[in-house]
Amino acid sequence: MTAPRAPFLTIAEAGRLIATKRLSPVELAKELLARIEAIDPQLNSYLLVTERQALTAARAAERAVMAGRRTPLLGIPVAYKDIYETAGVRTTAQSRILADNVPEHDAETIRRLGAEGAVMLGKLATHEFAIGGPAFDLPWPPARNPWDTRRFTGGSSSGSGAAVAAGLALGALGSDTGGSIRLPAAYCGIAGIRPTPGLVSRRGVIPLAPSLDTAGPMAWTAMDCAILLDALAGHDPLDPASVPGPPGSYASAVAAPIRGLRVGVLRRFYEHDVPAAPEMLQMMSHAAATLRGLGCRVEDASLPSVQEYNAVGRVIISAEAYALHEATLKTRLADYSRVFRVRVLAGALIRAADYIAAQRRRADLIAATAQAFGRFDVLITAPTAGTPPLLTEQRPDDGFSRPLLTTVANVAAVPSMVVCGGFTPAGLPLGLEIIGPAWGDATVLRVGHHFEQAAETRTRRPEL
Amino acid sequence: MAAVPAMSVQTISPGEMQLLLSRAGLILNPGQVADLVLAWRQVEVLIASIRQDRPLADDMALAFRLPPPSTSVSPPVAPARPATKAKAKSPAQAKPKAKAKAKAKSAKRRTPPSPPRKGARRGR
Repeated sequence: MTAPRAPFLTIAEAGRLIATKRLSPVELAKELLARIEAIDPQLNSYLLVTERQALTAARAAERAVMAGRRTPLLGIPVAYKDIYETAGVRTTAQSRILADNVPEHDAETIRRLGAEGAVMLGKLATHEFAIGGPAFDLPWPPARNPWDTRRFTGGSSSGSGAAVAAGLALGALGSDTGGSIRLPAAYCGIAGIRPTPGLVSRRGVIPLAPSLDTAGPMAWTAMDCAILLDALAGHDPLDPASVPGPPGSYASAVAAPIRGLRVGVLRRFYEHDVPAAPEMLQMMSHAAATLRGLGCRVEDASLPSVQEYNAVGRVIISAEAYALHEATLKTRLADYSRVFRVRVLAGALIRAADYIAAQRRRADLIAATAQAFGRFDVLITAPTAGTPPLLTEQRPDDGFSRPLLTTVANVAAVPSMVVCGGFTPAGLPLGLEIIGPAWGDATVLRVGHHFEQAAETRTRRPEL
Repeated sequence: MAAVPAMSVQTISPGEMQLLLSRAGLILNPGQVADLVLAWRQVEVLIASIRQDRPLADDMALAFRLPPPSTSVSPPVAPARPATKAKAKSPAQAKPKAKAKAKAKSAKRRTPPSPPRKGARRGR
């Protein structure tokens, strides 16, 4: 069995090759491990490579294939943001605080992927405890963007974005509290979905702000995200926020045509609230035209301002993150990175009345967003103002001073995905964000899949 | 219902910051205080921008969803049946029924627990 361009296969392609015994899970894992060894020193996307466990799992997958087992993730090499607990494997949240933390149990999401036959390659870089930005005062360097290693990956699922784009994993898990799956997906030119809250269990995922945290998949294509979501979604009775989602397969749903879907363009978001660069504006025009060409009815849509969603989101995140870390901050303050301290310590000063005001306003914003879905099946926007900035341009207080377009979906409690919308003339990726109503994950994935096919944005990879 | 006006933005003085820090129980060095002032100035603006014109009578955004009552919880006690009904049965009639009940009970004990349904695990 041989592996044609193995690191750049999609999960769907690799799954088909493995199922028909034309690709060996062991050879696939070996190719990826070799590529990680060769390429990752430029990217720092992995905090830990679990080579021994990966080969053991790949051999087990190969035996299962030979015995006739068929599952879409059998033998597929994936990696996990280092806030997902992995039994017997160090889980640090990229922090000195948890430098020696070896969990006893797998996160429920890890258990589910393992049960489907996925092969864990290792643990991926994150911003410390999934907040902040690239930090240079931690034991591990920040991840770098594979399209231009001087540039930021976006975060906080920084390693997940970089590893998938660079062909160092076929899929990854990220987490998203204010945009942490979708920002690295946009800057690294991949796909990532923040599912409807409750659809994917958060048990065993180190929390940042429990009101807004979501776990979700990241991969090269929307279809691959759907395949991962099929394994990840489902009620977890031990996660109090988990609820049974709608029945059916996401991977099967994405193929259905999108003709007739009503697409709302959140033009004011990226033209006025967070003014985007000309190349992003151009990409959004092309995206709207592409969707129109696919038979969608595309019209402008309106929601409250990005700033309103961000004010609510930032206050909730700061207050909840501080509450979770208060005891450790008081005893081990110097062990946290400066960027973490800047973003979280302010939470100590937020009054209970202000936190509750934010939660009450959130209820209004959820209702206002839900109302928009009476007119539209999905909403589209730019997820960022432009291309990935240089790592050296990042400021510790960016999270407060610059509103994030992606935080809208977190505050509104709706699913949202980013797919690659196109590239600048300099070859840097630009993301397209697709937002759906609560439990509209399948529609969001479907629009993402058809857009990727029509816009042909999946034909190039970073050169490393 | 009266609406609550939004808080106005104020820039914090060093003395006020020290007061807040001591109330929070935080001991910071001057560099860390400077970082916090930088962040807090921006958080203050965010807090002040949150609309607070929700009528006071509106419900709180926080919700607590209790799980449905489990089957192990005893149902409310039913009123006792009139004693005359039990007396109406002869011992001969009662004996086989009691035997059957005991049989069913032991069979139940032998039955292994059913595996979780696939649909329940995947939940979709």
